[in-house]
Amino acid sequence: MLSNIPLSLRYATALAVIAAVALPFLTDNMFIVNLAVLMLIAIIFASAWNLLACSGQGSLGHAAFFGIGAYASTLVAVSLGITPFITIFIGAGVAAVIGILIGLTCVRLKEWFLAMVTFGFAIIVQTLVVSVLAPMTGGWDGIPSPRLVSPAIPGYQLIEYYAILLITIATIIAIWYIMRSKAGLAFLAIRENETEARAAGIDPVRYRLLAFAISAFIAGIAGALQIHHIGYITPELFGVDNSFWPITYVILGGLGTIAGPIIGTVALTVIWEGLKETGMTFARYVIIGIILILTIIFLPKGLVSLPERLVEWMARKKRKMETHPLTGK
Amino acid sequence: MEDLSIILQILFWGLYAGCIYILLATGLNLIFGVMKVVNFAHGEFLMVGAYITFTVFLFTGFNPYVILLLSMLALVGIGAIVERLCFRPILGTGKLNEIFLSIGLIYIFQNGAAMIWGDAWQSVKSPYDGISVPVGPLSVPLDYIIIMVVTALILCGLYLFLKKTTIGMQMQATSQNRKGAMLVGINVERIDIISFGLGCALAAAAGTLWVVSGQVFNPYMGAIPAVKAFAIIILGGLGSIPGAIIGGLLMGLAENGAAFLLGGIWKDAVSFIVLIVVLVIRPTGLFGGKEG
Amino acid sequence: MKYSVFIIAALLIAAACIAGCTQQQASTQSPAASQDTIKVGVIASLTGPASNVGTNMWQSAQVAGEKINAAGGVTLKDGTTKQVKLIVGDDESTQAGGQKAATKLITDDKVDILVGGYSSAVTSAYEQTIAEYKVPYIVTGASSPIITHRTDIDTSYVFHHCPTTDTYGEYTTQFIDEVVRAAVNKKLGAPSDRPFRLAVLYQDTAFGKGVQTAVDNTIKTKNLNIVLVSQQSFKMGESDFRTQLTAIKAAKPDAVYIGAFPNEGAPAIVQARRDIGLNTIFLNVENNDNAQFYKDVGQYGEGAVIESRFSPYTAPAGAVAAAQDEFKQAYFKKFGTYPDMMGASTYEGVFIAAEAIKQAGTTDKATVRQTLTTMKMPQVIEAMKDSTISFSSGFRESSFDLWMEQLYPDAAAGETRPKIVWPDNLKTTEFVLPSWYEAGSSA
Repeated sequence: MLSNIPLSLRYATALAVIAAVALPFLTDNMFIVNLAVLMLIAIIFASAWNLLACSGQGSLGHAAFFGIGAYASTLVAVSLGITPFITIFIGAGVAAVIGILIGLTCVRLKEWFLAMVTFGFAIIVQTLVVSVLAPMTGGWDGIPSPRLVSPAIPGYQLIEYYAILLITIATIIAIWYIMRSKAGLAFLAIRENETEARAAGIDPVRYRLLAFAISAFIAGIAGALQIHHIGYITPELFGVDNSFWPITYVILGGLGTIAGPIIGTVALTVIWEGLKETGMTFARYVIIGIILILTIIFLPKGLVSLPERLVEWMARKKRKMETHPLTGK
Repeated sequence: MEDLSIILQILFWGLYAGCIYILLATGLNLIFGVMKVVNFAHGEFLMVGAYITFTVFLFTGFNPYVILLLSMLALVGIGAIVERLCFRPILGTGKLNEIFLSIGLIYIFQNGAAMIWGDAWQSVKSPYDGISVPVGPLSVPLDYIIIMVVTALILCGLYLFLKKTTIGMQMQATSQNRKGAMLVGINVERIDIISFGLGCALAAAAGTLWVVSGQVFNPYMGAIPAVKAFAIIILGGLGSIPGAIIGGLLMGLAENGAAFLLGGIWKDAVSFIVLIVVLVIRPTGLFGGKEG
Repeated sequence: MKYSVFIIAALLIAAACIAGCTQQQASTQSPAASQDTIKVGVIASLTGPASNVGTNMWQSAQVAGEKINAAGGVTLKDGTTKQVKLIVGDDESTQAGGQKAATKLITDDKVDILVGGYSSAVTSAYEQTIAEYKVPYIVTGASSPIITHRTDIDTSYVFHHCPTTDTYGEYTTQFIDEVVRAAVNKKLGAPSDRPFRLAVLYQDTAFGKGVQTAVDNTIKTKNLNIVLVSQQSFKMGESDFRTQLTAIKAAKPDAVYIGAFPNEGAPAIVQARRDIGLNTIFLNVENNDNAQFYKDVGQYGEGAVIESRFSPYTAPAGAVAAAQDEFKQAYFKKFGTYPDMMGASTYEGVFIAAEAIKQAGTTDKATVRQTLTTMKMPQVIEAMKDSTISFSSGFRESSFDLWMEQLYPDAAAGETRPKIVWPDNLKTTEFVLPSWYEAGSSA
């Protein structure tokens, strides 16, 4: 299966993995490592959103699954005393089940309707967490969450970094497999044309639900990881910003590709932190907004398509240069 | 008698909230009808409209209800620019792209406004502040009556514009059949710009009315009302202006009822619960016939 | 493919072991002792929903830093005099942003001490980081008592220099019990055992709920003759309170306690008085006491009460008044606006940080922490209990001398202005019920 990947891509992947593994050796600055941890979590989250978008379903409320995974994992870990390494998957499982429920209400809906339902769902979940579920969740006050790796263990930050890196790589490989499988092809077929997909014997409802479940599961993992990394959980997790970030990452990197969320997250994190260093406040968001819009208009396939676009552009320029003396213009 | 008056009051506040929603939703619907585009950043135009009114009021001290017209005019311009620069290039490239583009616009407008006007909460005082008129058993401030009248006037004006003017009729034609409109020689791109600008002007009107009613505002104020306005046009049926009006009123009433019965925290959630329930039963909305 | 996963996993585990060892060595190294400045990290929300307050806090800290440096900086035990260098960390009003800011200030900028923090939810998210690196942190904005009360992590390095919702809820309830009740009974000619009818309108967040809980607890533990006739909530950032106020009016309260931010408190009062005709006494939480509130509430503020510790328009008589004025002028000169309450406590926070390092005579974090626990320093610009800033032995909270102020129409300003009416040692005038006041029920 590896053989059908282009050589250059294989080198790039290997390079990325080596860079990620070597990072803590290159710097003893824990801020960089901490930033990298948050970035890895964002990559998982963005990949989850991307997977759902691959099946033609653009969610505006993925923070709901992120938060549900985080809350479920925390509550299980606290009440049963299980290590977060296990509970993140339990939390993700809960997120997946709820993802299916939301998916059920969405399967018949068109793009905007679906966006609205998911957006509203995040708000409803937040309201439930701070009202009806408050005795369990601590309401707005939030509750402490056990750390993924206890700070009592020496070098815990690096163990945590490598653990999250491993989970990130595993997630990406899993998504890669899914997208190559029959299910992945079905997602793409549904996104391109639902009627044709149906004619080809694909059951759109089943596959859309599957996409919802997998996406919610992965988003739940990301949420649980982030909360076990931070050590405290509050309902702010369900905020609108948290739903918008993964979208921004994916659009910048390249929608519908495996590398898109990764490249987009890394690029945007670097831009974001760099702008912050210059002391910018609101201007940061304005710049991110402009980058997003320019990407959508001029680079609709995201940064991953930049190399081929450059090659195309160079070729066109070259051709022009060649024709220039002939036409005499 | 006491209870009745409470219910009447809450109905009245719902009616007032509904006015803002109606203006927002009608604007969104106008744009959708013509361009088949949904702008999730529509609330940012409401915010900008509010700030323009605020700024002009600060410098001139004119009656805010007069500034409303100026604010609407300014937003026609801003809307036209946004349409030309952002939405025109991606028309027809997929509906998801419009949603993503809106997110970029939200970032730009909210934080751009914070850079220009600061992020503190602001307020504007209406010249009729403190005057109350009796309406049945209630005594309501004059401003609310004016707001309702202005909303009704704007809607009537829009109706006349769509039915009686050439551009209005061209807009209707484009909305019914874009290709057909092109064939009969209508410049649909010009119609796009005009309808987008008009939609934004309605949002500016909503923003101004929001401000003069004594509600405070800041650069982040528009996000939630816009999404609710969108929920309203889904309820009322995409592209249907009467649907938007009924939906807007229902939403205003449902929210205030929920805040009264369940607690204020449910105010936002209840809109979406209503929306989800409706969509589960009727995937095209309450009054929506055909899909967008 | 499967093998590559295993190889990667093995590689990662090996790397973790090696890196873990090297990291341990790195962490045992003492922090650079040869710094020529004292680095004070300021964590503030420069972006996101809390940016307004956050900017005020950061600017106030800058004013404090300049004042300390102009006075010659901080002299340590070894005789060296060092200037204070402030470094800001933007928490983006989010948990992840707060954690990034704290980690960056501690590990990258290597600050000696931290000041700031506003949203309690954001602050509790990076308290873990504070506990791990053991950096003294003076919280000057978060109003939730959980900040220093939580037990799941070590909060011994966290000091709370800001009244909590517990404090102001209790304080205001006592004021109602002692002062407002007497005035209402006098007006009605009612017997002194008439139960006082209080309504609460609160923001549905940790902050507003904290206020509401504190009122409830005070009534219960002190066995006060107050009934809560209506408790209404609203979501953060709400601007339309008419429905809740209609319900409150129907419950016939003698007074309404509003647990809200100024952008909510002011329109709530305006809507209550103008739209609902709820002519009663409104009591507000301290952070409402800023210039924007007076502007927004306009003439409808008359008779309202604010619990406060730093006001743009009044100050308790004495040395504090002069110091507050100097701070306000210095701030205005630099930024063209006036500081708010959270700015005032952050300003003091920088002074406390400098004083702690001076008294400790070193920037060693454990020593500075130890100094903070026992330190007694004279009050800076806000009135403190016994005129001293010191942190309680239990939860390391400082005690403010709060006051209640009532708003009076001021023809010159065209708005209302506050006068201190309680407690007796600070008051300049008496609390009065406005002529239009309507009690809940005559019984």
